[in-house]
Amino acid sequence: MNNPGEYENLVERIFWLTRLRWIAIAGVIIVLIFTSFVFKLSLPYFYLYAIVGVLGLYNLIFYFVLKDTRNKKPEGSFSTANRIANLQISFDLACLSGIIHYSGGIENPFIFYFIFHMIIASILLSRRAAFLQATFAAIMFGSVVISEYANVIAHYDLGGFISLSQHNNPIYISGTFFVFMSTLYIAIYMATSISKRLRQREKMLYEANELLKEKDRLKSEYVLRVTHDIKEHLSAIQGCLDPVLTGITGELNTKQSDLVQRAVSRTSKLLFFVRALLEITRIKLSKDLKMEYFSMKDTVKEAVAAVEMKAQNKNVSISSSVTLGADKIKGAREYILETIENILANSVKYTPQGGRVHINVDDKGDSLFLQVKDTGIGIPEDELPRIFEEFYRASNAKEIERDGTGLGLSIAKQIVERHKGRIWVESELGKGTTINIILPK
Amino acid sequence: MPKILIIDDDPDIVEGMRVVLESKNYVVTNAKNAEEGIKKAKEEKPDLVILDVMMETKDSGFEAARQIKKENRNVPIIMLTAIKEKLGFDFKNEAGDEEWLPVDDYLDKPLKPQELISKVESFLKNK
Repeated sequence: MNNPGEYENLVERIFWLTRLRWIAIAGVIIVLIFTSFVFKLSLPYFYLYAIVGVLGLYNLIFYFVLKDTRNKKPEGSFSTANRIANLQISFDLACLSGIIHYSGGIENPFIFYFIFHMIIASILLSRRAAFLQATFAAIMFGSVVISEYANVIAHYDLGGFISLSQHNNPIYISGTFFVFMSTLYIAIYMATSISKRLRQREKMLYEANELLKEKDRLKSEYVLRVTHDIKEHLSAIQGCLDPVLTGITGELNTKQSDLVQRAVSRTSKLLFFVRALLEITRIKLSKDLKMEYFSMKDTVKEAVAAVEMKAQNKNVSISSSVTLGADKIKGAREYILETIENILANSVKYTPQGGRVHINVDDKGDSLFLQVKDTGIGIPEDELPRIFEEFYRASNAKEIERDGTGLGLSIAKQIVERHKGRIWVESELGKGTTINIILPK
Repeated sequence: MPKILIIDDDPDIVEGMRVVLESKNYVVTNAKNAEEGIKKAKEEKPDLVILDVMMETKDSGFEAARQIKKENRNVPIIMLTAIKEKLGFDFKNEAGDEEWLPVDDYLDKPLKPQELISKVESFLKNK
């Protein structure tokens, strides 16, 4: 049952149990207030509240222990989490038995609340452990009932709720206890059957997902190999054409020069595309990027400088601001630089004359918030969800620029996500586009 | 005239560069693999080496650069690779010398003739 991802699941579910326990504690307190002030039952409230206090205390302790285990993720943390789950459920059963004892024993209808723990145990634990918990519940509850019957411990009457005490009626006791115990075991049986099937399905999904990932990786490797080969050939073609075009090999006449120029231009476009494809594939295949601290301010400055000429030629103003404290960041600088450069270049490309492009970096505590705003042509609303897809280009972008790889934003998304960041776009057709990026420091 | 050694297994790339460099009267010699490159660097004592990174194995280019620098620490080496491809390599510590890198510059293929000439000139001027 110990497949990858299951540990996270288990921890997640124990946290859920911890949250549930706070609700249960609140519930018990409300019921106790009702019984004392509305129903005016005379019960040993001090002990009952003491048990509630114990519940709250260990819930707090388990919460911190669990948080610690999750953060450290040491070897064998799965069995630690498993033990925590087992221990918590056992503690709960003991507390519940205590509460039941101080509030009427076998006469308390809340005895059926044991079922909730059986369901929780079936979800969290193995079937065997769940049955053991049921047995533990039966023993705890059984000893309360028998001890009360034998007068080893006191019985607290629920006078006003049940008129005639049944705690010393052997037929009532054995009958109720039998129903109680069988309910627990049947509940475990049913709940574990369902959760077993769910676990199997979870495992199947997990395996199917792993297989898909592996296939995707193989596809990427294939793309990498093919693109790399294509690039080698293209480089050689261009390397041979360029000297001819520049006249190094002798003057060309107009027609020759025109044709070679066409060939060079097409090769350049293809090379540009192949480079982008190589890049995105390489990022997909790289296991981890080399991270180091660098200055965001300098990086933004460099990116702005790279597109400044293009902006000036189009009479598009470009400006930047980096808030104090938003400078230092850990990441793969070359990739972040490229991402910002690409986004700025896009903004400049799709912003008409006289427009503005502004990049702003804000400090958000443990992350940086980057915004590139332009007064460009915008993206049609129905195309927004597709804008980060590989090879996708907005319809109005194609009208302005016929050629384009449709990979720029996909590469940006890959890079941002490899930094555990987030990228999204807001845009209004004809008004402008804003690209937002959150990058953890 | 200064002598330039091109180490690349692609004869077409070599030819393209040779034409460009020879138009500026440089003496160009070439090698088809790392081993031959190291040998030629030793025998012919070029003033500059242009080295392709993707040869037989992934880091044979870097290994060749290190061998060449071992013989002649002052010869500039221009490595032909996309800057991103080099990100995976870290030779600073291996050499035990913080400042030392086996190569002096990186250029992505294909090189525009003007780019190649100005890069080569800038290195040879410093000599």
